[in-house]
Amino acid sequence: MRPILLSGHERALTQVKFSKEGDLIFSVSKDHVVCAWYSANGERFGAYKGHQGALWTVDVDPTTTLLATGGADNTMRLWEVRTGKLLKTWDYATSVKRVEFSEDGRQLLAVTEKRTGQLSTVYIYDISPDPSEPAPSEHALRIVVDEQPRVTVAGFSYLNHFIIMGHEDGSVSQWDAKSGEHIKDNYSHEDGMQVSDLQWSADRTYFLTASKDKTAKLHDTATLEVLKTYTADTPLNSAAICPDPQQYVILGGGQAAMDVTTTSQRQGKFEARFYHKVFEEEIGRVRGHFGPLNSVAVDPTGKCYCSGGEDGYVRVHHFDPPYFDFQFEVEREARAESRI
Amino acid sequence: MATTVQNTPGRTDWAEDGEPELASVLPQPVTTKNKDGTETVVSYYLNEAGKKVKRTQRIRRTVVKKRENPRVAERRQWAKMGPEANKPAGPGDTTTLGENIIFRPQVGFKAGGVQEKAPEEEKKNDALKKMQIKCRICSGDHFTTKCPFKDSMAAPEEGTGEGAGGEGGGDGIDAAGGLGSTTGAYVPIHLRNGRKGEGERMGGKFERDDLATLRVTNVSELAEEQDLRDMFERHGRVTRVFLAKDRETGRAKGFAFVSYADRADAARACERMDGYGFGHLILRVEFAKKADGK
Repeated sequence: MRPILLSGHERALTQVKFSKEGDLIFSVSKDHVVCAWYSANGERFGAYKGHQGALWTVDVDPTTTLLATGGADNTMRLWEVRTGKLLKTWDYATSVKRVEFSEDGRQLLAVTEKRTGQLSTVYIYDISPDPSEPAPSEHALRIVVDEQPRVTVAGFSYLNHFIIMGHEDGSVSQWDAKSGEHIKDNYSHEDGMQVSDLQWSADRTYFLTASKDKTAKLHDTATLEVLKTYTADTPLNSAAICPDPQQYVILGGGQAAMDVTTTSQRQGKFEARFYHKVFEEEIGRVRGHFGPLNSVAVDPTGKCYCSGGEDGYVRVHHFDPPYFDFQFEVEREARAESRI
Repeated sequence: MATTVQNTPGRTDWAEDGEPELASVLPQPVTTKNKDGTETVVSYYLNEAGKKVKRTQRIRRTVVKKRENPRVAERRQWAKMGPEANKPAGPGDTTTLGENIIFRPQVGFKAGGVQEKAPEEEKKNDALKKMQIKCRICSGDHFTTKCPFKDSMAAPEEGTGEGAGGEGGGDGIDAAGGLGSTTGAYVPIHLRNGRKGEGERMGGKFERDDLATLRVTNVSELAEEQDLRDMFERHGRVTRVFLAKDRETGRAKGFAFVSYADRADAARACERMDGYGFGHLILRVEFAKKADGK
């Protein structure tokens, strides 16, 4: 496959996200620019200007009408995707590290940084999908996380029942999305190794966390128990679940133990790693980035994936047929049997 | 006549017209439909040098039907915004195509350069397979210089060589030459017969035997060969002194080799001379390491 290199950013990428149909990619970076691209050919659709300071996070609603971004200028902004018009700005005391729309696009959460005098807080807003309707300034719910270490990532579970948070000590916690009550925790990752990314499965009944402890773990949303663990040899910055029928997960990180190989020097050495979701075995790597991978995202239709790196490039890869045909022996037999 | 030209039939004054400008009038493009469904278009144009160029194109038109989500189709029609607002359609300079990567998931994937094998290595492997490569030492499937048993198995050659060498001078040499080079290649004298062949060396067996050779280090720059010889002569007969000299300046490089006739002498000298002060430096004496390679 020939990766498409998107060079719209001057500084390191912090997050990349696909639209629900997989045709648009939104990328944010430490330069205060949000770019939107067509994933089919890498053509840039446009950019959203307004933020000052580094941008940490981006998310698009399921109808691809609204775009939310959060950054180091202590604001979260809401944009209309099509025109680039800034619809709403929310101001906070500290920088916004994560924004996420709920599954139905009706709610939006923002995670604000912990600083001296400020606790890590998660704000939830009710959003209307109609861009002409002004978004509320008042949060519907505010969760102040005081007993636990700083929140690094958060997201809405299935049916907006729970909010799952990842913390800087490697634990994940579950909170009620209506009342803000803390329900349970699980200290799944190694102590002190922060959870760098949290990405959902298609139906949000399980999620994948990536951590600096060189592992990514698959958790069940309701019970928070660890279902699978994928071990890499480098601290991970991001992990994504490929949609069915492909049973793969993609991990991205950096600072690997590089061995000297005979690769072309025009290509970078940092790799995205592919693991089988069920068997936890590594099945392939794709190199190309010139710096650690900061974010990986998979097209919800499964045709491509993209990675944003520290080198300022977004690389979009459209999979070849061998990717779709690959199966373990056991899987092949199981399929054959069930047909008979 | 009239300045306007008219193409009336029966006109006979065409000789008075100006130069007909046939050369600058290009024929119209001609499109023909072929039997196999393609179209052939023949057109003419003037290239940069002003020459008339005929271009023939064979075009096949196929209709590819693709199913697309209506929302995606709608988004494709959106006008580009922001910095892309007035740019033409299609990827601009922010987009480039990378190098082709072969990505094939496989069971038991091992990282560490297995994916990419250098083309030179592949060629070498192929060449090896085609040629009948045989090692001269162990008859294995590799080059002699790459033989893993170079040191250990080169020895059997010496053993057989020495037996033949002891048979007598002249014959020995011929036989040795013959033995060492059963393949017909020339083997130089110092490589035949197992290296330190008896009766081959001038001046006796222990001429350069490293068992009686001492390495002296930390030698002062002002030292000379005669000085060292005198110093070490006290402990026994010195057969050879080699002082490492800088070719250009002639001064000593700091170490020397002293060879004795008798091994015991060498051992005694080693004990006595180690730590001996010479010039402004303290000498260090030890047995020289065996010369490797042969």
